[in-house]
Amino acid sequence: MDVSQYLEIFLDETKEHLQNLNTQILDLEADSENMDTINEIFRAAHSLKGMAGTMGYKRMQNLTHDMENVFSEVRNGNIKVQPEMIDVLFQCLDALEEYTNNIQQTADEGTNDNEPLIKMLNDILNKESGKKEEAPAAAEKPQEASAGGAEGDKKWNEIALDDSQIHVIEEAKKGGQKVYGLNVTIQESCILKAARAFLVFKAIEENGEIIVSNPSAQDVEDEKFDRDFTLIVISELELNDVIKLATDVSEIESVVGEQLVLENTKNYRPLEEEEPAEAAAEAEEKAKPVVVEEKKAQQTTTAPAAKSGGNDKKPASGKPVVNRTVRVDIEKLDVLMNLVSELIIAKNSLVSASGLEQNNSSGFNEQIEYLESVTTNLHESVMKVRMVPIESVVNKFPRMIRDLSKTLNKKMELYMTGEETELDRTVVDEIGDPLMHLLRNSADHGLEDAELRKQRGKNPVGSIFLDAYQDGNNVVIEVRDDGNGIDTEAVKQKAIERGTITAEQAENMSEKEIIDLLFLPSFSTAKKVTDVSGRGVGLDVVKSKIESLSGEVEVKSKLGEGSTWTIRLPLTLAIIQTLMVVVGGEKYAISLGSIQTIENVMASDIKLVENKEVINLRGMVIPLIRMNELLDIESKNTDDSLIVVIVKKGDKTAGLIVDDLIGQQEIVIKSLGSYIKQCKFISGATILGDGEVALILDANALL
Amino acid sequence: MDQVAVSSGEVKSSKRNVPAAVRLQYIVIKMGDEQYGIDIRYVDNIVRMQNITRVPKVQAYLKGVINLRGEVIPVVSLRLKMGLPADEYTKNTRIIILKTETGNLGIIVDEVREVVTLGEESIEKMAHEPKDSKASFVNGIGKNGGELISLLDRNAITLESNV
Repeated sequence: MDVSQYLEIFLDETKEHLQNLNTQILDLEADSENMDTINEIFRAAHSLKGMAGTMGYKRMQNLTHDMENVFSEVRNGNIKVQPEMIDVLFQCLDALEEYTNNIQQTADEGTNDNEPLIKMLNDILNKESGKKEEAPAAAEKPQEASAGGAEGDKKWNEIALDDSQIHVIEEAKKGGQKVYGLNVTIQESCILKAARAFLVFKAIEENGEIIVSNPSAQDVEDEKFDRDFTLIVISELELNDVIKLATDVSEIESVVGEQLVLENTKNYRPLEEEEPAEAAAEAEEKAKPVVVEEKKAQQTTTAPAAKSGGNDKKPASGKPVVNRTVRVDIEKLDVLMNLVSELIIAKNSLVSASGLEQNNSSGFNEQIEYLESVTTNLHESVMKVRMVPIESVVNKFPRMIRDLSKTLNKKMELYMTGEETELDRTVVDEIGDPLMHLLRNSADHGLEDAELRKQRGKNPVGSIFLDAYQDGNNVVIEVRDDGNGIDTEAVKQKAIERGTITAEQAENMSEKEIIDLLFLPSFSTAKKVTDVSGRGVGLDVVKSKIESLSGEVEVKSKLGEGSTWTIRLPLTLAIIQTLMVVVGGEKYAISLGSIQTIENVMASDIKLVENKEVINLRGMVIPLIRMNELLDIESKNTDDSLIVVIVKKGDKTAGLIVDDLIGQQEIVIKSLGSYIKQCKFISGATILGDGEVALILDANALL
Repeated sequence: MDQVAVSSGEVKSSKRNVPAAVRLQYIVIKMGDEQYGIDIRYVDNIVRMQNITRVPKVQAYLKGVINLRGEVIPVVSLRLKMGLPADEYTKNTRIIILKTETGNLGIIVDEVREVVTLGEESIEKMAHEPKDSKASFVNGIGKNGGELISLLDRNAITLESNV
């Protein structure tokens, strides 16, 4: 059975369930009596098991099965949640994650049986309740059987046929083909019901024609059905062959069918008008008993668990209601993105064409305005599709902090806000590691141990905060702790020791400059190297990663009170607003985000400080950069009056002297490719309306 | 006509027809007085000379970037790379877009003449002579009738450190 087409769904859902389990088990550790949590865990484990089984990953299935057993006993109140048990469960989740990663890379789960883990799980079970292990499994079986038997009763006769369908059926019968009613029931444990149903549809359609399906084919595809669906099929095959086609699909519990007798169908009124309302009512009526049946069946399973609370839902009944997202292939999005890019280029050419011919009618301008609004909207909506909440990344952090708390033997809590803040998919994928570095850093270097905290009059449990929010065109993520803060003296000493700076230099450095030393490669102040950090690989990686995403990172720290790391990221990377400037006849784009003001400066106002050109602008001394010198080109500006673009990054400002300004333009960023590497302050290129390429100046790199 | 697209299907079919002896197609270009051949499998496109946007602070042979149907492609002067006098752009000057592992790359050539098919027997493999800067770009000599064609080594052309 080929299940590869479902691999992607399987992986996505598995990851979702694993994440859910991680979160829930964390909750369980905090509140071991919470029945809702336990039920949620049980459900997730059960779904995982089912999915792994469907896809044929036996090892994964075994492990989840044993986990499920443990949860089931916990749910029944036979086992109390112990701290050791939580540890074992977390190890199991790690093992499952490993399976998932293996599957993602090789479509195979690997060969690790994780026997020690399974043994540990069984030990937990046996310690408390050896013989009860069988109970839940046994309870499921009779239920399945009863449900399957009761539902198979000629449901096809209850389908309301409309005239055209009746006509088709009659025609088929005249033509010597046979018409069957079929009722297919899928096994309760099946997770990808829609997939199974689809396979049944496909198998039958290869050898016949499906006239009616109840629920409709669309609903079946969307998994809007319980466990069974009814078909009316025209085929040349014998009944048994048709039934065999369906039963050959795995995880089909039963297929009941017979030759359809039109007169027996509920709404059969030859050549008469059909009343849709009645048909709908009929369908509803038919659906009801099934629901009751399910509930009954479900009560039999929950009966042993009665004392653990009656709020149990049926495990793995279809898709979870929460987090109903549409998964979109990122490649498709990229194509869409490129199309939009083209559109913007087209718009730009129109704009430049209109600039050439002033005497054009107003209709032309209206067209451009229309095109502009369309492209802006299209851009926005495509951007929104690309945006995903950072939740998927930050969700794993509570678990990480818990583990860190154990390994470092420090008590700490992580508080997160703004998980719903959205960022470009590519950024979200990349941001996980830098954030993890910063959190580890806070946990290891930032927070003091409990003793010291008590002495300092702080809460012995350290706090780490992760806050995300949107700020204009940027998203800000802050990692904050109430620990020791950065000891600038220690950093200074270390830097001198390492020869990074001299003692004299250190004297003159501001606090901020000293903190910036931390971002240099292989600089670590931790006295001892721990598992967690202190190897000196970290902050420089964080910085370069964030910068590669066109973001920036800043630190604010107060000794004894804690530090705050602020990551600022652009909302999007693909299309930006820029100011087009001319330098020596060449066009360059500067991101509007980094431009503060544009000034006209007289050449005579330029002063020299330390042999560098600066201007005094409203009390601020701003260093100047002559772009033509930087870009190795002759300036064509001979005026006394210079155009200076003031750019800003954090606290730093600089004035870029350019020849001329063209204006504001929305541009599509194109990569220069890997062949051109040398140029640090060119961040990319864009294609202008006239088809020419203009380079994008990275103002951040100039500062 | 602005662009001459080269179909790779042609190459495949010619291979199918002559399975025994390997026959390779080369695009013959002219650089100064000499003729060079570029394996057609590496050629994506041949375009007319167009406005090249200069990129500052790069090697001299890297002339800049061009826009090829919405894609930004770096362009290299083959003359400068091979140590020949700088290009003089004429109406015959062309940019050959080569396919490389890291994306497309354009090379400026004086003239594109024709496409020749060479049998394996008419190609003489050549070892690299590091002394001669020109020769290190050539990995073989092809004999086409009475003419000799130096076959260019794509990797040597596209390699950056080769200056």
